[in-house]
Amino acid sequence: MKAVNLIPSDERRRGASVGAGRSQGVAYVVLGTLAGVALLVLLYGVARHHVSSRRSQLATISAETQREHEAVSALTPYTSFIALREARMKAVADVVDSRFDWAHAFHELGRVLPRDASITSLDGTVGASGSTSGSSSSSSTPAPAGSATPAGSVPTITLGGCAGSQSEVALTLQRLRLIDGVSDVSLKSSATGGSSGSSSISAKQCAPKSPSFSVQITFDPLPAAPEAASGPSAQLTASTGAGQ
Amino acid sequence: MTTRDRLVLAVVAALAVLGAFWVLLVSPQRKTANKLSSEVSAASAQLATVKGEAANALVAQQRYSAAYSSVVSLGKAVPPSEEVPSLIYQLAQASNRKNVEFSSITAGASGATTPSPSSAATPATAPAGFTQMPFTFVFNGGFSDLYHLFLQLNKATVRTTSGGLRVSGRLLTLQGVKLEPAAETASGPSGAQKLTGTITATAYVLPATQSLTGGATASSPTTATAPASSATSSATSSSTSAPAATVEPLR
Repeated sequence: MKAVNLIPSDERRRGASVGAGRSQGVAYVVLGTLAGVALLVLLYGVARHHVSSRRSQLATISAETQREHEAVSALTPYTSFIALREARMKAVADVVDSRFDWAHAFHELGRVLPRDASITSLDGTVGASGSTSGSSSSSSTPAPAGSATPAGSVPTITLGGCAGSQSEVALTLQRLRLIDGVSDVSLKSSATGGSSGSSSISAKQCAPKSPSFSVQITFDPLPAAPEAASGPSAQLTASTGAGQ
Repeated sequence: MTTRDRLVLAVVAALAVLGAFWVLLVSPQRKTANKLSSEVSAASAQLATVKGEAANALVAQQRYSAAYSSVVSLGKAVPPSEEVPSLIYQLAQASNRKNVEFSSITAGASGATTPSPSSAATPATAPAGFTQMPFTFVFNGGFSDLYHLFLQLNKATVRTTSGGLRVSGRLLTLQGVKLEPAAETASGPSGAQKLTGTITATAYVLPATQSLTGGATASSPTTATAPASSATSSATSSSTSAPAATVEPLR
């Protein structure tokens, strides 16, 4: 008996693609498309939400910034005055810091001078910067605004005096080197009365056998104002105190 | 058209729809969201800066009265005008206190000592600084008395240990000191020989373009309530007799 296939030939051809059904896979494509569209709609919604929330956030921040700007503008005279005060204080402090302490130098002079030596004349100046010093770093720093003795200026004192003997003059030279801040002590002249170099006023004030001497004392260059004391961030106030 | 062709066509059409959706709707929104995010970040940073400025301004407002009094105090050290009478008064006070005879004062650096290059007979303004007023003072006294006088002159404006300034008089820079025996060779009370001290010094005044407080008054930093000159004169008129003031950094 011959076997007969009862399935129609059309159906038998379609049976090769399992699960395709009658739509031959188009249904899956449609479903995938719908799923993709749903995902994109979700992404779109999230993005729109972000946009709107950022916009409102930006508006809030802008409004707050505007308010703060107005507050700052209203208080600008105060900040300007504080800035004026800081600038004024820095300028005064720079001048104060750049001064040479003559009183201290005189105190030191009195401290180190030998007993048998006396001073007949003293001539001290704060001269131009860098004339005798080797400290290029000091003289290269900017000078304080308006100071008559800017940083790097070299104070010098020329001493005229009398000593008991020439060895006392030598001792005087040695002792003068002990003065705080001295960089150099150089002898200009030392002569006893009647000798060729003794015609100066100081020589006339010395005893006949006592040598009169002239010595130049050179101090370290004046330092620059310390940065920490003049920092722009310093907030300052004032209080009055009793007079001295 | 075969079944496979139809399927491929459907897939391509679906991808085209999805791509168009992405390109036309989703992507621009995401770009806008990102752009707005960066704008929000920038605005937040700006707000933080402005808030800091506002906080500083508020602090400045709270410290105004202290700052005003310290500016007035600094006006004693560097007044807005020459104020020579108060300078002479200060020198006379200092010399009386130290048994030194205040012999003379000469405007300009005409003393025997060598002045610095900045010294001149007329006031000279240093760039962005104070106007310098060179003077030559002559004092008579013993070495020790003159030493104390120099100490006193320096003390008129000094640094405090806390980094502030103590102001009790004019700020002076001594540029030159010359000591020599006094002409009459008199002796002081202690028997020490009298010396003549010639001091070349510089006092300072504010530049002509600046007033003492910039027009501010004790109650307000604005110029509306009082003219600058009145604040200036009231501040500097006290320079002859006002007590010392200390200008300190804030804690």
